[in-house]
Amino acid sequence: MSRLPAVKPAYWIAGVLLAATVLAPLIVSTYAKAEPRLWGFPFFYWYQLLWVVLSVFTVGIAYRLVIGEERKRRAAQGLGDPDKPAKGAEL
Amino acid sequence: MNHSVDWVQLTVVVVIFIGVTVMGFMASRWRAAASMDSLDEWGLGGRGFGTFITWFLLGGDLYTAYTFIAVPAAMYATGAVTGFFAVPYTIVVYPVIFVFMARLWSVSHRHGYVTPADFVRGRYGSRWLSLAVALTGILATMPYIALQLVGMQAVFETMGLGGDSLLAKDLPLLIAFAVLAAYTYSSGLRAPAMIAFVKDGLIYLVIGVAIIYLPHALGGWEAIFGAAEKKLTTPNPATGKPVGNFIPGMTGQSAYWTLALGSALALFMYPHSVTAVLSTKSRNVVRRNAAILPAYSLLLGLLALLGFMAIKANVSIIGLDGKANPQLAIPRLFDQEFPSWFAGIAFAAIAVGALVPAAIMSIAAANLFTRNIYKDFLKKDATPSQEAKVSKLASLLVKFGALVFVLGMDKTISLNLQLLGGIWILQTFPAIVVGLFTRWFHKWALMAGWAVAMVYGTVEAYNVVNPATKKHFGGSVTNIPFTDTQAYIGLIAFSLNLVIVIALTLVFRALKVAPGVDVTHPSDYTADQGDPGVKDLPELLDEDGTSLTRLNFARRGCAETL
Repeated sequence: MSRLPAVKPAYWIAGVLLAATVLAPLIVSTYAKAEPRLWGFPFFYWYQLLWVVLSVFTVGIAYRLVIGEERKRRAAQGLGDPDKPAKGAEL
Repeated sequence: MNHSVDWVQLTVVVVIFIGVTVMGFMASRWRAAASMDSLDEWGLGGRGFGTFITWFLLGGDLYTAYTFIAVPAAMYATGAVTGFFAVPYTIVVYPVIFVFMARLWSVSHRHGYVTPADFVRGRYGSRWLSLAVALTGILATMPYIALQLVGMQAVFETMGLGGDSLLAKDLPLLIAFAVLAAYTYSSGLRAPAMIAFVKDGLIYLVIGVAIIYLPHALGGWEAIFGAAEKKLTTPNPATGKPVGNFIPGMTGQSAYWTLALGSALALFMYPHSVTAVLSTKSRNVVRRNAAILPAYSLLLGLLALLGFMAIKANVSIIGLDGKANPQLAIPRLFDQEFPSWFAGIAFAAIAVGALVPAAIMSIAAANLFTRNIYKDFLKKDATPSQEAKVSKLASLLVKFGALVFVLGMDKTISLNLQLLGGIWILQTFPAIVVGLFTRWFHKWALMAGWAVAMVYGTVEAYNVVNPATKKHFGGSVTNIPFTDTQAYIGLIAFSLNLVIVIALTLVFRALKVAPGVDVTHPSDYTADQGDPGVKDLPELLDEDGTSLTRLNFARRGCAETL
């Protein structure tokens, strides 16, 4: 196998996004409180639901970044793009 | 309280149930291959599911009827620490699987692995380690299937089904299960994949309506949270401590995050999760899904809050047997607050929601039995068509076992086993996930770490005594050894597991104990659909079994098969 270059910035950013999505909901002391409230929801509850929504974006961006790099790697190795012919057949 | 049957609800449920049954049987012809006589077809739906189907399939698989009953029930009974941790749990799980699941997909597709234990066998060259992983998977899955039935029972009970005679009480469950068993047998993974569309559609509809309509009917979110806070912070007369947590205090926080992290790491070790992942078409389907599955987590978070609504609505949770049962909180809330026909739709959603995961779980457990017990130990030269046959029978057996469990034994036994199941399945993480990245761990070290952690976790869980009822298996949280900090038992056992594996790996390596043969190659872990050696099976199948066998030879490389 050809030697891969040092870790690309895209992987770095993706890693940081994923790590943040794992860590933020686990540091409970940052959100175990009732104030400020939102529409009657104590902070504890709405903050975690907010992270559910945020995780869609962090994981989504990480996906874009990683896929971009993998495409480049596959092209460099002379392998096809598995998503291209499958586009129409999806579903 | 009204004990008579609500005919409107029952009619709605029966009609939806019949519709789903028809779909289940028709599913065998959906995206059909020439032959269903292999595990790739029967057990993995042809390995061809794209992003859209997988979203429904995984959603239907992971967010089970039991979850929909149990999470709000926990919120109703003891509040945030035992209930709402499901939200951080389902946030954390997706970035975690994003990192390793694509690798498992690739290596499994290049080597024709159907179960996680298949991979462990190929990676470490040890059928005993593979057996340990397979047994853990089966053990953890069986009570999980049983609990799906418990969820169904709660619904049937609320509709007024059930009476004094044993037959009348259990008949609905028996019928539902016989039907489930029949179409799983004939259609395999295609059946739950198709039914998942209905299940998830119904669930989204019901929760959407509930989350908008119920706060209106109950006086607004402020009043709902107020009632919950009042109930959960009131001291329990038996212990003098508050009955639950509204917002976790200092002691609750460590329990909260360890429960979330431990459960997140465990979720994709369950065989039914892996089955759904391996049924996908390409390496990226699962990663794409990691970004869109949180829609279900949002649903689950809102659903958890229904437990608080049940507190505000003052629902009765006294079952037909006269005992208090928090699992009835949500069905009773729907029954009390919704018109009959809509309550019927909600109940149908829960009942159908039990069928999808129960089907996938039984298929997954059956695949484990077939590949890692039957083929590895009993009949080494089993053909793909024999494998499919054994798996179909095993899936019946697994479901029958779960049914006996639910009908024959006290419900709390299923609950205890389910709690243990989570602790157990987490102990297969080092062999599976770490194995996807490095072969450094020694197979016997993994075995030892697994064994010790299994025993430790079981003993610790037994030693948790419910302060109010004085019963064992009172919860999944205990003190970390030598400290006063509370944590999830599964995660403590997992840490112990890792320490043992690392220490013993150093020892075995120093002693030069044979590490076993690794049949995988680094490039296997990044392979994708269309690459050499990664076959799109359905198109290559022939009608007669022989060419199928030859194909499998080619696919696995002769080294493994011969």
